[in-house]
This record gives sequence, C-alpha cells and structure tokens, in this order.
Amino acid sequence: MLKWFEQMEQESGNIVCCKVRLARNWSEYVFPSRLSQDQSRELLSRLNEGLRDLGDLDGRDYESAYLSDLSELDRRALKERRILNSSILEKKSPMSLLITREEDISLVLNGMDHIRIQVLSPGLRLTEALKTADQIDDYVNARFDYAFDEKYGYLTSFPTNMGTGMRATAMVHLPSLSMGKKFPAMLNDMGRFGVSIRGVYGEGRENYGALYEISNQKTMGRTEKELTDLVNKVALQLNDQENQVREMSLKRHRLEREDEVYKSYGVLKYARRLTMKDAMTFLSQLMSGVCDGFVRLEEPCPVFRLMLGIQTANLQKLSDRPLGKEELDMARAAYLRSELPGLVSP
Amino acid sequence: MLCERCKIREANIQYTEVINGVRTEHNFCAQCAKEMDFGQYSAIFDGEFPLAQLLSGLLGGEVPVQKKDHLKQIVCPTCGTTYEEFVNNSCFGCSDCYGVFDLLIQDNIRQLQGSDSHKGKRPVYHNGSKPELETEEETVPESREDSLESQIRMWDRKLKDALRMEEYETAAVCRDKIRELKEGNKADA
Repeated sequence: MLKWFEQMEQESGNIVCCKVRLARNWSEYVFPSRLSQDQSRELLSRLNEGLRDLGDLDGRDYESAYLSDLSELDRRALKERRILNSSILEKKSPMSLLITREEDISLVLNGMDHIRIQVLSPGLRLTEALKTADQIDDYVNARFDYAFDEKYGYLTSFPTNMGTGMRATAMVHLPSLSMGKKFPAMLNDMGRFGVSIRGVYGEGRENYGALYEISNQKTMGRTEKELTDLVNKVALQLNDQENQVREMSLKRHRLEREDEVYKSYGVLKYARRLTMKDAMTFLSQLMSGVCDGFVRLEEPCPVFRLMLGIQTANLQKLSDRPLGKEELDMARAAYLRSELPGLVSP
Repeated sequence: MLCERCKIREANIQYTEVINGVRTEHNFCAQCAKEMDFGQYSAIFDGEFPLAQLLSGLLGGEVPVQKKDHLKQIVCPTCGTTYEEFVNNSCFGCSDCYGVFDLLIQDNIRQLQGSDSHKGKRPVYHNGSKPELETEEETVPESREDSLESQIRMWDRKLKDALRMEEYETAAVCRDKIRELKEGNKADA
C-alpha cells in the first residue's frame, strides 16, 4: 500500500502537497492542558471506543496507538511525515493516534485539542481534503457533542484556532522565485491577504529545499470554503509566478539549468556522504528539473518522497541503531543511492 | 569576536555607553550581560523576553497597571484557569473560559482574528440534538409548537449550510420554507 507521499500526482506543477486540519473539543471535558492524567486516560478510552468503527465510514483501515506506546524515534519519524507537530512531541500526558495505512487521514486525540482531524494529499486538492475532513468531523460529532458557541464557533485551546478550527495548508516548491531580491518582501505582503508563508526546512533565515507552506492566518469570520479557496488561490498564484520565472531562465540559460540539474542528480546518485543541507539543495534542483520535464526518472518517484526519506529520524529508523552526525551523512547518501531511480536517457 | 568580560564565549551583545558625551563600546556574551547590571535593561537578557511573550502580550492588551492586579483574580470556575495564566500561555483551559474572559478579550480576539463572530460550519449535532436529526425532517412531533420551532431551526441550519457551500438555489428554497413556517405561525396566533 503506497503512502500518500509515495503516490504520483500528475500536473501539480510546483505544488507538492496540501493539508486540512480541524481542531475540535468534546463539551464534556475541559481542554487537554487542564486534564489530569486519569481524566486524560478516561477521555482517550471513551474517544477510542466511540471511534472504533471509524473505518466503516469510508471503508478504510485505521490503526490506533497510544503515543506513549511508540518509541521516541517513531514519534519523531511521524513528525517528519507531518502527522505530529513539535508541541505534541513535547507534551507528556496520554495521547493517541488513529491513522490510515496510507497516512493521509489521521486523528490525534488529546493533543493540543481533544480531537484534531488531519487530511493530507499530494498536489493541490484542498477541496477534496476539506470534504473528507468534513465527513469525518460529522462522524465524530454524531458520537461526541462538540464545544461550540454561536458567536465564537468551535471552541479550541488556542485563540488562534477558534471559529472554524480549520487550518488549510499548501506546500509549494519555489526554487527560482525564492532567489529573487523581492521575495522576502513578497512573503510579508502575503500577510495582508490573510495567509502566512513559512519555509519548511532549514533554520533561521536559511531554507533548504525551497519548500514553502502557505496557510490561512485567521480561522474566524470566514467560512471553511472561503479559507481553503484563499489558500488555493495564493498557492496557484505562486505556482504561476514560479513558472514564469523558470520559463524565462530556461529560455535564456537552458544549458546552465540543465547542467545544474544533471550535476545535482550525479551527486545524489553517487555521493558517499551528504549533509542535510546539500541533499535538500540537490533534491530541490532535481525536483525543478523533473517538473520542467528535462529529466525523467525511470520509475515513478515523487522527489518529495526522497526529501522525507532523508530526514534524520527516518534514517535512524532504517539503520536500527543510533547514528552519529558523520554516520548520518553516510546513511543519507546510501539511502539516496538505493532509492533514487535511474534517468531515462534523453 | 569574543566576549570582553569572560573571553570564552562569542560576544553577541553590543553595548554602547555614552557618559558626558564620551562614547565607549563594549561587546559581551549573553551570559555575562545577564550577570552584569544594566539597570532597567537587564530584563532584556532574562530568559524568554521578548519573543515568547509577544503573543501573550497582545492578548493581555494594554490594561492600566492598577487595574491589572484586579483582573488577575478572575478565575474560570470550571477549570481554574486564571486570567493571568490565560494571558501568559495564550491558551484557554475549557470551553467555559470563553464566557469568563469574554469581555476582557473581545477586542484582542477581533484584532487577532480580524473578526469576532464565527461564520462557517456548525456542528450537525449540538446540545443533544442527535435524535431530532436522525429522524426524517418531515416527521411531526407530538407538540405542534415544538415542531414549528424546531422545523424553523432546522431549515435555518440548512439555509446556513447552503450559504456556506454557496448553493444559492437550495438556500432560496430554505428561505421560502422558513418564511412559510413563520407566516403560518403568525396566522395561528
């Protein structure tokens, strides 16, 4: 069974994936930060019991696990695969996870809110993702009465989520646009449209891999559809602008562009040691080459899948023992040598 | 550049002193800066200031100092979250906190969210409305008054859902139905 990030999405351009997340709370309990350990356990067992047949809704297989039963490494790997976030990783009280085998649909129970429903999808399919999340939401709601207020909408732990409780996110790859001098100013301007943009990988001002996440800043005063439409629009706009810049550079500097992409492929395919920064930079080059159509991989393989594969916790998991920094770089190179498909000769 | 006090750590704080027009520059590391006395500026080097408290500062808003102590005493009776805790963690403790802190935070919510009223999805089942929704919409409950009211409520909910999905034709049908029901109600009275 292919995970969502292993599935090929045709015609998605520079848009890598998208996500819809709903935050909900059960009216019978106080929010997770105020629950005692015993109350948390009781809440979880009641939620798990009520949602036992969730699979009947869509015919999907859900696996269920208490986060405390997973190893620290597994939890970190789930964070890399965008299922958990860092606040969940730091939280100590009992939490559990319901997740499909494809990992596209997941519910975190007793995390920052009682129930967080998340739907991930390759490409830009926010409308479908919202629809799926909506159905699951109704299913959960039929069993558990939500904390809801006529004025403030769905009541959440954080005021930044109240109202719809929804965050819609699209991840776009902007290797050329992000090199422009005006790019930081453009990112700031996006706030005025009600969306926020942040780099996905890298620390501080650095961004490895040129991946950016766009999401709705506000959750109140607009409908779910209006909010997803907004994120959709901005993502398409950025995708368009990126394409324009790329087309221009291809027209003027085709040889340089091709050279960069092929060199990146060569390093990824044959290097013996790769730091995270280097690997992400070269994969980003390869991603743009594949998108522009001047390199073709022999087997269908989304480049984003490789980007997830080279993250630290995943490599640690594959090696079955803790790795030092040097060893990690070697493991990363080895992973890419084996996972990166050959090129179709031009 | 190394810190001129400990000469071990990297200096990341530049301190410029102007005394009687004579300007001297010093470079310290954060740790030494914390240990030294910079008067009112010392707080800058103390732990979390200022980023972590930025959002909480916004949530707390500009409340005059004498009023602040008074507000600190407001506590949510359900979960025990105090107003101070709420401001510090930017986090509600339970759904009742919304009502308890409502007046204090209204303006800040509007600032944060650009709006203070929810538009969008409503729970299909709310406040024990389950059985009502599981039966077909046209069923007639025992008490007629109840039925009218609940029917109006149901159509109203449908209307809102239709508007949210931008299905205007359905919305128009719902609107007419509500009008019909309301007029029937008046005629009865």
